[in-house]
Amino acid sequence: MMKPELFRELEAIVGERGMVSSPEGRLTYEADMHTFYKGAPDVVVLPETARQVALVVGLCRREHVPVVPRGSGTGLIGGAMAPLGGVMVAMNRMNRILELDLANRCATVQPGLINLWLSQATREHGYYFAPDPSSQMVSSIGGNCSTNAGGPHCLKYGITVNHVLGLQVVTGAGELVWLGGKVPERPGYDLTGVFVGGEGTLGLVTAAIVRLLHVPESVKTLLASFSTLDDASETVSAIIAAGIIPAALELIDEFFVRAIEEGIGAGYPKGAGAVLLIELDGPREEVEAQAARIVPICRDHAALEIRVAQDEAERALLWKGRKEAAGVVGRMASNWFLQDAVVPRSRLPEIMREMQAIGARHGLRIANVFHAGDGNLHPIILYDDRAPGELERAKEVNEDLLRACLALGGSVTGEHGVGVDKAQSLTLQFAPADLNFMARLRRVFDPDGIMNPGKLLPSHPACGEGFRPGPSRIPAGAWV
Amino acid sequence: MAVSSPALAEALADIVGREHLVDEAAALDAHAVDGVTPRWVARPGGVEEVGRVLALAHTEGLAVAPRGSGANLALGNPPRRLDLVVDLARLNAVTDYVPEDMVATVEAGASLAALGRRLAERGQMLALDPIGGSTRSIGGVLASNAAGPLRFRYGTARDLTLGVRFVQADGTTTWGGAKVVKSVTGYDVPKLLVGSLGTLGVVVGATLRLHPLPLATGSWLSAWSSRAAAEGFLAALLGSSLEPERVTLLNREASRDGELALLVSIASVEEAVGSQGAALTRLAAGHGGHVQEMPASCWGRLGEALRGAVALRLSCEPKRLIFWLGELERLASRLGLRAAVVAQAGSGVLQCALQGEVSGAALDGTLLRPLRDGLAPEGGSLVVERAPAALKAELDVWGPTHPDVLAIMSRLKREFDPDGILNPGRFVGGL
Repeated sequence: MMKPELFRELEAIVGERGMVSSPEGRLTYEADMHTFYKGAPDVVVLPETARQVALVVGLCRREHVPVVPRGSGTGLIGGAMAPLGGVMVAMNRMNRILELDLANRCATVQPGLINLWLSQATREHGYYFAPDPSSQMVSSIGGNCSTNAGGPHCLKYGITVNHVLGLQVVTGAGELVWLGGKVPERPGYDLTGVFVGGEGTLGLVTAAIVRLLHVPESVKTLLASFSTLDDASETVSAIIAAGIIPAALELIDEFFVRAIEEGIGAGYPKGAGAVLLIELDGPREEVEAQAARIVPICRDHAALEIRVAQDEAERALLWKGRKEAAGVVGRMASNWFLQDAVVPRSRLPEIMREMQAIGARHGLRIANVFHAGDGNLHPIILYDDRAPGELERAKEVNEDLLRACLALGGSVTGEHGVGVDKAQSLTLQFAPADLNFMARLRRVFDPDGIMNPGKLLPSHPACGEGFRPGPSRIPAGAWV
Repeated sequence: MAVSSPALAEALADIVGREHLVDEAAALDAHAVDGVTPRWVARPGGVEEVGRVLALAHTEGLAVAPRGSGANLALGNPPRRLDLVVDLARLNAVTDYVPEDMVATVEAGASLAALGRRLAERGQMLALDPIGGSTRSIGGVLASNAAGPLRFRYGTARDLTLGVRFVQADGTTTWGGAKVVKSVTGYDVPKLLVGSLGTLGVVVGATLRLHPLPLATGSWLSAWSSRAAAEGFLAALLGSSLEPERVTLLNREASRDGELALLVSIASVEEAVGSQGAALTRLAAGHGGHVQEMPASCWGRLGEALRGAVALRLSCEPKRLIFWLGELERLASRLGLRAAVVAQAGSGVLQCALQGEVSGAALDGTLLRPLRDGLAPEGGSLVVERAPAALKAELDVWGPTHPDVLAIMSRLKREFDPDGILNPGRFVGGL
């Protein structure tokens, strides 16, 4: 329990309007989009300046109270909730673009700025912010930095860390400091690169300088449908093996084609066993030439239909179907777990076959909509809570899937992050010496262990007893 | 307890084999770092041997300098002390290459050129091209985050390193990152190791993101009679819908034809190279410039411009590139030095070779300090990448680092190398 004086001291920093301390108010903050993990903070503060954030962290250090950063709360890993209570620092009031510096092709933004707002503000000048997690109309850039978020277009353009030039942070040690900046290169350790993806365990992001990219000259979006999942995944591996890196290469299986068509009506061919959404961008001739190489690869793999979006409206609709796919699962299944794992992209056909076998073995259906081009899977395990034994079987499927991905040389998370959800899974991928190195790295930034305890690493000393992570249960309306 | 020197030589020889341990004075002189001669050079034959060598060094408190091709030995402050050079030349295997994944795992001692040849057989490449650096080792390129013109499109080792295997100061072999192109499992440890100049651990191998070799490439050189003209064209080029692969600026001294030159390559499919090349020519003509097509080999010759006893690396805001080029030239000429500059547009990096006689004090007072003072407000830096040892003794090769940032870096160094045996003193802030 936090001391009453601490509430008064926090209020003196952020003001009465920057405090949420009522039980109902705090409940709003008890979970991110992974609602299985619940933990309400003792208080939520909504700072307006980096200085206020530093003062809050200073107080929490003095009192040894956990600090939990939160952006928009769209994470899928139980990262932005407070298993041990403490002070949640919500960045929603720090949501402005501080500077557009087009000559340097970068923008300085506050952490609570919504991802899509930045591209909307820069597109009229011919620029955009490349990282595009499916949650981009809601998720914050601070949260994107903390989770090192991905998205469909990272296939060509890289994940968030490749687009962050500098961060203003408050470390767990209480320092308010700029790491990196507009100058892309500087002597010394790459602290910016280390901080991105730290999931708030190293400190809080209070401002970010991010790269802006030129809007490409042309964009072409193709939809290829197949009768089987196998044909579609073989096609993905064949496109990459041919040395073609599309801007995005997404796979949507039969279940999702049906669900999306019933829920959104994105124009996907009903009845297809799987669909590939392929986007090419760049100089016009390059896009045309790539399309001309991709079409025969699809045909060689028994594509049923290959369609090119004829205008921006059709393209937007195809993407709407993809980006809002997770939101429509609720129409089709009562309960589901979401997984986010990676395999080497040449092993895609293999893991997809293995996945169907795992599902069949446990008598459960696994649906798929994912970033196929970089081997980043999002299997969704469907089950019914009311059917006896199904929950347990779903958990087993989840475990089997993760192990199958690692056996192929993959990774336990491609873009959603670790949070509490996968903290224990790290032991499957890393040796004790590797984890020890990471634990020491954390201590350098957070010597007292107050920053987002219980997240990112297994068996953190601050992790509460009786707090057992389980598989991912995502509510309708989430983004993957 | 410290063991005697002959006993240490025995112990090292036991690990790497007698024939892979150098301890004769004459041979050791060739491995001196800024005039500091090591007592031994050990050439381990595998990761496990590197681990045992480091464990021994840790126990005995020996100061270690890792070495790849030797290109980085000129970089950094003179070592505070040096006992043992760990030469990674024998670790040069491509341990895992799956062309279908466009990912390769390589040992640290492999050279860029050797790896490049292997990858080219499958139509792929590692998009790292530090100027004049094809003989450099992968480990050395990562340790200094060295990059060249290709960074314009592909980024640097920071962006292309997916995983690293390294040996910590106490000899513990450690892995960070992943072997797949996308992973956020745990901290991004490769980011910490890349650019750390062997001060936090000895990189023994890396998993790297590869790219397809472009189907077609064209290169064009445009000459400009003034910095202002070059600046106008550069801004127009970067603001246009053209998608160059490399954009490199050479000053008069570096281009050797009395003009400021901009070398641009376009890499794509043949049709796009043709049409973008034509658009580039039109754009230059609109700015009063003349463009000539160049052979691809011109990129391999950039290193010739950067020869010289003193080499500098200036980093600035990308939009200030040409301003700082002017400042660099102005201050060098004040010292009677000729400055050849090769600069990377988009990333704000200028590499400069100085020719002529100068004292350390004059170089520092007339050139380094004024430039560093001017660069500080924008967060820029000026590093002396290469200089004779006598000159280095009078200079701060790295320049200042913000004290708050240096405090975090110092804590990292203390955590991962508490006894200061890895390249002691050579890095930023004397770390």
